[in-house]
Amino acid sequence: MIEVKNLNFSYGKDKPALQGLNFSVGDGEIFGFLGPNGSGKSTTQKILTGILKGHGGYVALFGQDISTVHTQDFFERIGVLFEFPYLYANLSAVDNLKYFSSFYPAKQRRDIGEILEKLEFKTDFMKKPVASYSKGMRQRVSMARALISSPKLLFLDEPTSGLDPAGAVVFRKIIEEERRKGTTVFLTTHNMLDADLLCDRVAFITNGNIAALDTPKRLKEQNSNHRVRIEYWYQNRREEETIEIPALDSGIPFPYDEIISIHTEEPTLEDMFIQYTGRGLS
Amino acid sequence: MWKHNRASGNHACINRCLPGNTSKTQTGWKRFLFLCRKDCRMLAAGKFFLLAVGSLILYTLFINLGYIQYMNAQLYNVYLYDPRGTQQEVSAEIHPVASLEELYTALSLDTNGVGIDASSGTPSIVFYFGSEKSDNHRADYALSLLHQENEYSAQIAGINTRESKQRKEMCCELLFIEIVAVGFLGIASVLFKEKQMGVIRVHAVMPFNKGLFIMAKLTVFLLADLIFAVLLTALNIGFPDAVAILPAVLVQTAILSLIMALTGFGCIMMLKDFRQFSLAYLIIVIFASAPVFLSANTSVKMAWIDRHPFYHVYMGLKNACFGTPVTNPVYYICCVCGIVILFLLVQTAFRREMGKEG
Repeated sequence: MIEVKNLNFSYGKDKPALQGLNFSVGDGEIFGFLGPNGSGKSTTQKILTGILKGHGGYVALFGQDISTVHTQDFFERIGVLFEFPYLYANLSAVDNLKYFSSFYPAKQRRDIGEILEKLEFKTDFMKKPVASYSKGMRQRVSMARALISSPKLLFLDEPTSGLDPAGAVVFRKIIEEERRKGTTVFLTTHNMLDADLLCDRVAFITNGNIAALDTPKRLKEQNSNHRVRIEYWYQNRREEETIEIPALDSGIPFPYDEIISIHTEEPTLEDMFIQYTGRGLS
Repeated sequence: MWKHNRASGNHACINRCLPGNTSKTQTGWKRFLFLCRKDCRMLAAGKFFLLAVGSLILYTLFINLGYIQYMNAQLYNVYLYDPRGTQQEVSAEIHPVASLEELYTALSLDTNGVGIDASSGTPSIVFYFGSEKSDNHRADYALSLLHQENEYSAQIAGINTRESKQRKEMCCELLFIEIVAVGFLGIASVLFKEKQMGVIRVHAVMPFNKGLFIMAKLTVFLLADLIFAVLLTALNIGFPDAVAILPAVLVQTAILSLIMALTGFGCIMMLKDFRQFSLAYLIIVIFASAPVFLSANTSVKMAWIDRHPFYHVYMGLKNACFGTPVTNPVYYICCVCGIVILFLLVQTAFRREMGKEG
C-alpha cells in the first residue's frame, strides 16, 4: 500500500526534516509511526497525503509513484484524521459531515447516522453547532469525517487525543473494525497504549530518521532481559525473587508456600522508544 | 431530512438525501456548487448579507435625503448696492440693499455672502476673505448674476442634469467604498473564521481541484457585489438611466470586486490574525483609497496619481457611471493581468496555509 525509499525533505536550506526514511506498509496493516514533537512524523504524513510537495526519494501509494498519484481519484481513496478536530464551528455535526461527504462519489459514502452511532456520539447534539461540543465530541465528528468516504487508506493523527478512556476504547474498536475490512491504517501517535494494542508494526522516528521498525512484541522481546519477578508467601512472609526465564524450565527453583504473582521484566514500548531515540515521548 | 429513532437506535440514511447521490462520481461543477453553497452559509452566518443590505439602505437614504438636498442649497447669497440703477439685467437671486451700511451689515451676518457695490456705476466686489480659489469663484459667481444669458451663456456638454450628475457621482463613490472597504472586511471576517477553525487544511485532502476553493469564494463575493451594484444604481440613479449604464458599471464592479476579494484572500492567508489584518486594512484604506478620492473628487492634485492602479479602476467606474466607459484595451489587459497575478499569488499562499502545522 505504501512504499517509501530514501525519503528526504527539507523546509529550508539548513532545515532537513526527513533524512532518508525507508519503510513500507502492507495492505490491511496498521502501521504505527511514533516520535516526539518535531521528529518528522507530521511531515511524513503530509507528504504521503499530498499536502507537502518537493520531497526527495521514492514514495509510492496504491502502487503508484506519489508524484502522479495525488489526483482526485487518490483523494477519494484516503481518509485523514488530523491532530486537531478541524470542523465548521457554526455548523452541526450532521451538516459538517454532509458538506465534507458531498465531495465523494455517492457509492462510497457511508451513512452519517450509522457512523455517528458507532462512535457513540450523543444524539442530542447532532443538530447543534459544533461550537457547543466538548473536545471528545469534536474528535468523534472528525473521526466520522475521516471514515465517511469508506477510505482504503486511513491516516490517523493522535486518534484518541481528547477522549476519555471509554471513548478511546470505542475508537480502538472502530480502527480494528477498519482493519478487518481491509483498510490500511497509518497511525501517528504519542500514545504507547494505542500503538501497542493496535499496530501490527511500529516505527520510531527521531530527527528525521527511523531508529527502529518492527512489531511491538518483537521490539519488546529483543530488548527484554529475559527475567521474571516472582512474588510469593513463604513461612508467613511476603517475598520477592527475580530469576532468569530458563531457570523456570524445571519449575520454581526456590521453596514457597503460595505464589502471589509472576511478572516478566519486559520493557514497555515507551522504554524502547527512549532506548532507541534517547528522547522521551512528549 | 434526517430522523433518528433514539428508542430503537435505528437511523434513516442521511446520505440518501444528499444532492448528487444519483450520479456515480462527483463532477467538478457539483463540487464547485457545494463549495459556493457552503460559502453562502458562512456569509449568512457572519451577517455579511445583512451588512450589505444595511449599507444599501443607508447609502440610499443618504443620497436621497441628505446629499441631493444639501447640494441643492444655494452656494452664496449675493447682495447688490446700486443706488443709481446702473445694473439692468440682474438675476432674481440677487438681494438688493438700500445703503452701503445695510450691505456691510448683511455681509457681517452672512460671511460667505458676496457684496456688489455699484454706487460708482462700475460693480466692485466686497466680501470677507476666505481662500484665493474660493474667493475667485465667489466673485465670478456674483458677477455672473449681473449678466444674464446674453454674455455668459455656456454650451452644456452631455445630457446629465445637475441632480443626475450628483446621483451618479455619489453612487460611484459609495459603490467604490462598499467594495474596497466594507466588502473587503466581509471577506476577511469569513475567511479568518475558516482559517481559525482549521478547516482550510481539511480541504487539502478533499477530492477536488484546490483552485475551486478560491474560485467559489470569488464567485460568491463577485455575485454579492454585482447584485449590490445593480440595486444601488437602480435605486439611486433611476431604473431607465441605470439600464443604460449598468453593463459598463457591472464590468468595472467585477474588476474591482475580484481585485479586492483576491487581495483580501491573500492578506488573510499570509497574516497571522485579525489584528495584523486590521493594520493591513488601514494601510489599504489610507494609501489606496484616500489619494484616489482626493485626486478624483477635489482640487488636490498629486503628480504620481496616474501611476496608482486604484485611481484607474476608480476612474473606470466613474466613467462607466457617467455613460462614457473606458474603451482603451490596455486598461482591460492590465486589469486581467493584475487579476491573474493576484490569483496565482493567492493560490501559492493558500497551498502554504494548507501545509501548515495545527
